[in-house]
Amino acid sequence: MPAPASSQDDLYRQAADTYGAALERLARAYEADGETRRDLLQDIHVALWRSFKGFKGLCSMRTWVYRVAHNVATTHVGRQSRVRSHPLVALEEIELLPDASEGELAAHRRQSLERLLALIQQLEHLDRQVMLAYLEGMDAGAIGEITGLSSRNVATKVHRIKGLLARRFEAGGNDEE
Amino acid sequence: MRNESPPQDMRNVWQNQRTEGIRMSMEEIRNRSGKFEGTIYWRNAREYVAALVVVVFFGFEFWRVPDVLTRVGYGLMIAGMLYLSWQLHRRGSSRTMPAELGLATGLEFFRRELERQRTLVENVWTWYLGPLIPGWVVLTAAFARTNPGHMRHIGLFSGVLNLIGALSFVAVWKMNQRAARRLQRRIDELDALQGQRSARK
Repeated sequence: MPAPASSQDDLYRQAADTYGAALERLARAYEADGETRRDLLQDIHVALWRSFKGFKGLCSMRTWVYRVAHNVATTHVGRQSRVRSHPLVALEEIELLPDASEGELAAHRRQSLERLLALIQQLEHLDRQVMLAYLEGMDAGAIGEITGLSSRNVATKVHRIKGLLARRFEAGGNDEE
Repeated sequence: MRNESPPQDMRNVWQNQRTEGIRMSMEEIRNRSGKFEGTIYWRNAREYVAALVVVVFFGFEFWRVPDVLTRVGYGLMIAGMLYLSWQLHRRGSSRTMPAELGLATGLEFFRRELERQRTLVENVWTWYLGPLIPGWVVLTAAFARTNPGHMRHIGLFSGVLNLIGALSFVAVWKMNQRAARRLQRRIDELDALQGQRSARK
């Protein structure tokens, strides 16, 4: 039986509270342009709220939230096809980025994040989903539930991701390829 | 940070990036959802009204003209237009339902999207433009027949027009077929991945 309206609202609120920041990170991985990204994020929130009408608890809330978010973002990418490798940054976003005066460590993290985003945005849909789930700290079982890949495929992909990250972001700063 | 392995380090970088803390109130959610439904409703309404206008126009002409062949042409145009509207309605109403977004895994959803795109590029001529061609051909022939004084002129003009149309048809059809094959290859790859999963269940 579909969730009643109040339960739908409650489920959405709970999901937004728990996964709000993760959804923002996910939207950032799919859309480089700030304005369009905010639109995408709002579309994800609306889709999430609408989807909870049919949530029957057959999978965990986390799996549900990530499936909805990835599927909305996949449609978005298909529609827009304009993830830019060198995104334009709006003023309000610059405020969110660490200042150069924050020190070497902050600058290094910012640079790493920018390069990581550029890397993620080049990936195919399923690889991108696996990469994001890995970065969010999920295990192979959870990644399989979201993507639909077998645990063996997930394990292979995670192994490759780790290798890729190790090569590209090797500690010690020798990370230029 | 430097003491951790690069993959773990990048997980930290990813999870600790700054976010804007964007939140939407329930009112904003409902407004945006309503706006989305409204956009779909008006898009459909525009398509049906356009089809209705064309059907009324051809219906009037069908009733007005005495020539049988011309009436057949208008009849075919009306039938083609109705078929086209039904196809638009069918394809529009097969949109993803909200709960399906949470029920479908990334793989299933992506496969469905590719399949939808493939069907679209493969069949666009048969459901979108094809249904109007018989009416157009019969009307051209009927016009040439009922205006014998202009027969040579009209014949030449319509011959060139038909040739250009046919060449464009073949070119677009070839391009679409190539795109459909590319999409099918991707679908096959996903099926192989899904097959591995089913085989392990």
